[in-house]
Amino acid sequence: MDEKALQEVLMELSRTAGVSGQEGDAVAVASRCLQPFVTKVERDRFGNLIAFKQGEETSDPPFSLVLAAHIDEIGAMVTKVDESGFLRFTGIGGIDPRVLLGQAVEVHGRNRLKGVIGALAPHLLTEKERQKELKMEELYIDIGFDEAQATEQVRVGDFVSLAQAPLAMQAGGCISGKSLDNRAGVAALIVCAAELAGVRHRCNVYFTATLQEEVGLRGAITAAYGLVPDLAIAVDVTHGEWPGLSYPEVFELGKGPAIGLGPNFHPALTRSLEDSARENRFPYQVEPVPGVSGTDAWVFQVSREGIPTALLSVPLRYMHTPVELLNLDDLLNAGRLLAVFARRLDRPFVEGLKCI
Amino acid sequence: MESLIKDLSEAYGPSGEETLVRTLLEDLIKEHVDRTFTDNLGNLFALREGPAPLLMVSAHMDEIGVIVTHIDEKGFIRLAPVGGLLPHLLVGQRLRFKDGTVGTVYHEKLKEIKELDWSKLYLDIGAESAAAARKRVEVGDLACLHQPFAVLGERYLGKAMDDRAGCAILLEVARRLPPELPRSVCFVFSVQEEVGLRGAITAAYRLNPGYGLAVDVTRVGDTPEAPLMDIALGKGPAIKVKDSSMISHPRVRGFMIDTAVAAGIPYQLEVLERGGTDAGAIHVSREGVPSGTLSIPCRYVHTPSEMVDAGDVRHAAALLEKLCATPWP
Repeated sequence: MDEKALQEVLMELSRTAGVSGQEGDAVAVASRCLQPFVTKVERDRFGNLIAFKQGEETSDPPFSLVLAAHIDEIGAMVTKVDESGFLRFTGIGGIDPRVLLGQAVEVHGRNRLKGVIGALAPHLLTEKERQKELKMEELYIDIGFDEAQATEQVRVGDFVSLAQAPLAMQAGGCISGKSLDNRAGVAALIVCAAELAGVRHRCNVYFTATLQEEVGLRGAITAAYGLVPDLAIAVDVTHGEWPGLSYPEVFELGKGPAIGLGPNFHPALTRSLEDSARENRFPYQVEPVPGVSGTDAWVFQVSREGIPTALLSVPLRYMHTPVELLNLDDLLNAGRLLAVFARRLDRPFVEGLKCI
Repeated sequence: MESLIKDLSEAYGPSGEETLVRTLLEDLIKEHVDRTFTDNLGNLFALREGPAPLLMVSAHMDEIGVIVTHIDEKGFIRLAPVGGLLPHLLVGQRLRFKDGTVGTVYHEKLKEIKELDWSKLYLDIGAESAAAARKRVEVGDLACLHQPFAVLGERYLGKAMDDRAGCAILLEVARRLPPELPRSVCFVFSVQEEVGLRGAITAAYRLNPGYGLAVDVTRVGDTPEAPLMDIALGKGPAIKVKDSSMISHPRVRGFMIDTAVAAGIPYQLEVLERGGTDAGAIHVSREGVPSGTLSIPCRYVHTPSEMVDAGDVRHAAALLEKLCATPWP
């Protein structure tokens, strides 16, 4: 898959709504993109998308690799339709009220409704009010309807997604948009699946798009239990460079994906990922994660009897805002690295993981 | 259901010490189900056999309470919370231990009331010395709030409505279910919900259900200057869309709504910003269990005087009965 094709896939994924708990549309896009490269695509009982690619290992049972990227995005949910037809809401996932002001949104009511989160005009604010901290409960969504129309169209519990369209920037490879956390990871899975199409690999591979990561890694809990893989790699995003912050808090864009190191990850597995990158001259960075990774890797590691787990992260700026920004090169390199890693997997390596 | 709710509300059962509630419930439910059993954590299961897949219906037996952390030389007792309990709610309140020992809570000298925290509170059981106190209470003992049940017109007031009101609804529905069911239903009275949905984790693992339902209380926004919440007492049970522990399965939520509409049962839709129920544990059990929650609107949750509406309780029971007796899509 070349950069142009990847850009199209990523922008379609970014454009599509898929707030935690309502990921159906995003799953449909990912499913269509993965389909040509795999043996079969299905959804598990929780709704996670599982795209299975048969390997060539004939031993019984065969060994399997799960590549997991969460497909849900942060968003909001309606908590009340008020007397003027304005919608009050609560956040889904770690959404920051400061970045919601002035945003366009889509309300998933009886129909899809365009809405905006307005701010009181600066003319009408006192100096003191302008400096005040912003709280979610002070914000509202304006869909233009009066109370009667709004009540007809919208109910408590309706989902709200950000409506920011993705931007292909003039700077080569830079894409900005909503939900790149973690459609970037999903796109990396698609790159990997494309790379593995028509080439030999021994392990069975489950490309897994997990649901509800942003509200507590919930899809990954059930996916890990159901798939019982021999090893798992979570693919997610990490913080991109930012003035005033330095490595290892932030990672350079365009210098390759970051391989997580720390107690959440199996050392032999991370070493092997690094070896794969070095041997193939793929750029990569190393991300020390001293404790909870906060990614799907966290629950995969302790599923059932334990699963050797690793984390590959794409650097991204402005996480959990509507203008998350990344470099496509990092995505391509992440997908290609996963593919060469999958190809080198054999049973002795998998058996060797059982004793660190 | 009034006397049932009274008995359950007044029973002693803080998280980890649910035995008395379990005994009470088991005696009441066993003649209405095919069999009852318990597990290693103390969950009580009451099974109505039928075709697979099984519907798990869970209400938790435990209530918020306190644990004894220290007894001083004069016999005053220091406390820590078990579950989400605020220290200022306990000043002047009575607490009760499993053996019936009662005491009252007060605080040390304070400059300002906002200095009040758990380290400033103590429990006085009327003992003159440490030795006398230790004859009745030991470090690690659990106490519940000591509050009588009251009927206020159409409303019930008492401790532990969270979630004995839910337990009462399960029991009432078990009594009413017809002889033939479209699928197995297992009523689960779970332990340790208030400290992290722990009983429901093992109960769901054991049952491996096809669907999960929790019946629990939820907060309301209908009191003076309440935080924003579109739920009021007396407007019917709530069908949960989201809380901190779960986003309800859209198919389950849709079926609950359709069932309520078809039966003419009033309902409200609930988005709870903080809090969780047993369904939070059930829905991520094993490979995932499509789950929902039927909520009873409740004022003053996690205080000594929780208030629910009798009509909401009746309607919740009516809806749960339909949900147990109707084939699911």
